[in-house]
Amino acid sequence: MKEYDVIVVGGGITGAATARDCAMRGLSTLLVERSDICDGASGRNHGLLHSGARYAVTDREGAEECIRENRILRRIAPNCVEPTGGLFITLPGDSLDYQENFVRCCREAGIDAVPISPREALRLEPAVNPELIGAVKVPDASVDPFRLTDANIIDAMRHGATILKFHTVTGFVRSGGRICGVKVSRPGEIRSKEIRARMVVLAAGIWTAGLARDAGINIGMLPSKGALIIFGHRVAGMVINRCRKPSNADILVPGDVVSVLGTTSDKVPFEDIDDIRATPQEVDLLLREGVSLVPSLSHTRIIRAYAGVRPLVMADSDGDGRSVSRGIVVLDHEQRDGVPGLMTITGGKLTTCRLMAEMVTDAVCARLGVKAACETALRPLPGSGKAHKDDEEVPYFKRAAIGRHGTEVSRMDFDLGHEIICECEQVTRAEIRYAVKTLGVRNISDLRRHTRIGMGTCQGSFCIRKVAEALAEELGQPLREKELIDEYLQERWKGITPVFWGDSLREAEYMQRTHKDEV
Amino acid sequence: MKFDAVVIGGGAAGCAAAGRLFDAGMKVCLISAGLTMEDENTDPWKENRALAQRGVTVLRGDRATGAVLEGDRVLSVQTACLDDEPLCARVFVLATGKFFSRGLLSDMQRIYEPVFGADVAYLPGRENWYDPDFSAPQPFLGFGVKTDAQGRVSIGGKCIENLYAVGGIVAKGAAEADMDVIVETYAGK
Repeated sequence: MKEYDVIVVGGGITGAATARDCAMRGLSTLLVERSDICDGASGRNHGLLHSGARYAVTDREGAEECIRENRILRRIAPNCVEPTGGLFITLPGDSLDYQENFVRCCREAGIDAVPISPREALRLEPAVNPELIGAVKVPDASVDPFRLTDANIIDAMRHGATILKFHTVTGFVRSGGRICGVKVSRPGEIRSKEIRARMVVLAAGIWTAGLARDAGINIGMLPSKGALIIFGHRVAGMVINRCRKPSNADILVPGDVVSVLGTTSDKVPFEDIDDIRATPQEVDLLLREGVSLVPSLSHTRIIRAYAGVRPLVMADSDGDGRSVSRGIVVLDHEQRDGVPGLMTITGGKLTTCRLMAEMVTDAVCARLGVKAACETALRPLPGSGKAHKDDEEVPYFKRAAIGRHGTEVSRMDFDLGHEIICECEQVTRAEIRYAVKTLGVRNISDLRRHTRIGMGTCQGSFCIRKVAEALAEELGQPLREKELIDEYLQERWKGITPVFWGDSLREAEYMQRTHKDEV
Repeated sequence: MKFDAVVIGGGAAGCAAAGRLFDAGMKVCLISAGLTMEDENTDPWKENRALAQRGVTVLRGDRATGAVLEGDRVLSVQTACLDDEPLCARVFVLATGKFFSRGLLSDMQRIYEPVFGADVAYLPGRENWYDPDFSAPQPFLGFGVKTDAQGRVSIGGKCIENLYAVGGIVAKGAAEADMDVIVETYAGK
């Protein structure tokens, strides 16, 4: 039976980046994910590539990590990052002294923070609240978390890693006190199989706590829910932050053709982490605060609301959870708990995913006696680079796909599928086939994450039947068409119900009457 | 402009009402905003055109914006395109449908009927407007204007004598107007 060097548990951005790093250092690597890639918090956040400015005042180390990684990701994943720039604005009632201190802290952390006049801020970004009294320009950017995770997964596979999706880790294989693999099963199946490895790395976000418990280890974690709203327009071209102590709804991030406002921060019980929804109350709060940042949000169409769970880690010495850290946490359980063969990587941020992977892979290599150096900061991720020559005329059906997948479009067969299936996001049959073959999607929600199908203006209202037909055909399961539609509608409903008024209510009635035989 | 009856809403319910009143010899105006969800079998545009050809005054692409009341009677309604020309009539039929057709509007706190400010039956609190399961029956699709036994609309708890409601705008369980009763009361007088 094959024994891997490393099994990474968790297919979010941390697990994906870790699998890539391990594979690049020559370790035989398996990544196990219970659902689809990017289905947890990695796909439910702002899509903000932090400059570190947000943490400059409160967490110098975090800020320094952010700005370093910000520069690296721009270099190795240019097709996932949009260099929008960011503003920190001070509003009447906020303190200009805070802004002064903020700029000083940013500079000490190596972040290029430039104070500008309110007038200049309005010229750069006309959407900001015109009552602002101060503004600072920082190198924040917008990053597509789905694309970034996919790029890491694809690179890991190209370096020999195996990706096992839709498999739950149900327990660990032990020998004496040592962890020497995991037991996995498909959802709903009782039968499990054992997969052996010299080292198991837990990179499962908030779900890490439960996995560690199965290994007899206690990691003090707090699930912290963050709710966000997506608006149907790109109301601002830059990331807009409020220049004050981090609080609710104080960041608006443009991404593709939408804007994301967030977030909140509330402790939730562990029982809730598998079914996290934004509530109407959270939406009310987000809107109230968001409108003071960008007034036009009050009459911008809301597409949906959603929520993710941050894995906050308690300091080991602290039982009551008051001192939680958002910093990177690498736990070597042989050293910490006397359980050899197991490591945990958690905490951190989307922006610092590569660094998290480097830190845990260094620890793994040290235990396994592997000397290879980390090269993830030097080598570009798949998709980056020039997708076409400067003077080349790009056909219309390829343009959106190039924006999403960069040079990966060379793997799509447009001769057999340039028919556009999703009009809003211009997704072709060829892109659907690519997602099925390369990324192993199984339903429309998966397809959404990897192609943006149904993420546009109509949110699938008009194209859903066409999408289901095309996907069922590509999966070779033509009878699943209705099931695919039902699953998608349920997911869309989850996003629309927290914003259930105005045009959303009109859309809801349209959905009910078009997709149900009887209402 | 003076009519015997003004029907507000040119979907299936409004078209049927206008046709019935016209057939009873009444001078009828139909206001049709064109925001319906019917399929090609019940194409309201086609219906609107047929009614216009028969002699109903059809205001296509227009919508009612407000009304003038005196006591418990509606005197006239205004439309977006004819804002200085009130449409007067003896009887009014509200057939503007639900949310998609903008018969009912909503904001974060409330649901309301925009033309008359008619009383709407709905559950307070947005979280009560939907069922989290898409496939379950949805409360919001049962919301609509309150009516009396004859299908007459009320405003501020007071029944409006000459304002009737038909179709999707009527709350679930409330009575729709009986067109025969309207004809009996208002035709040929």
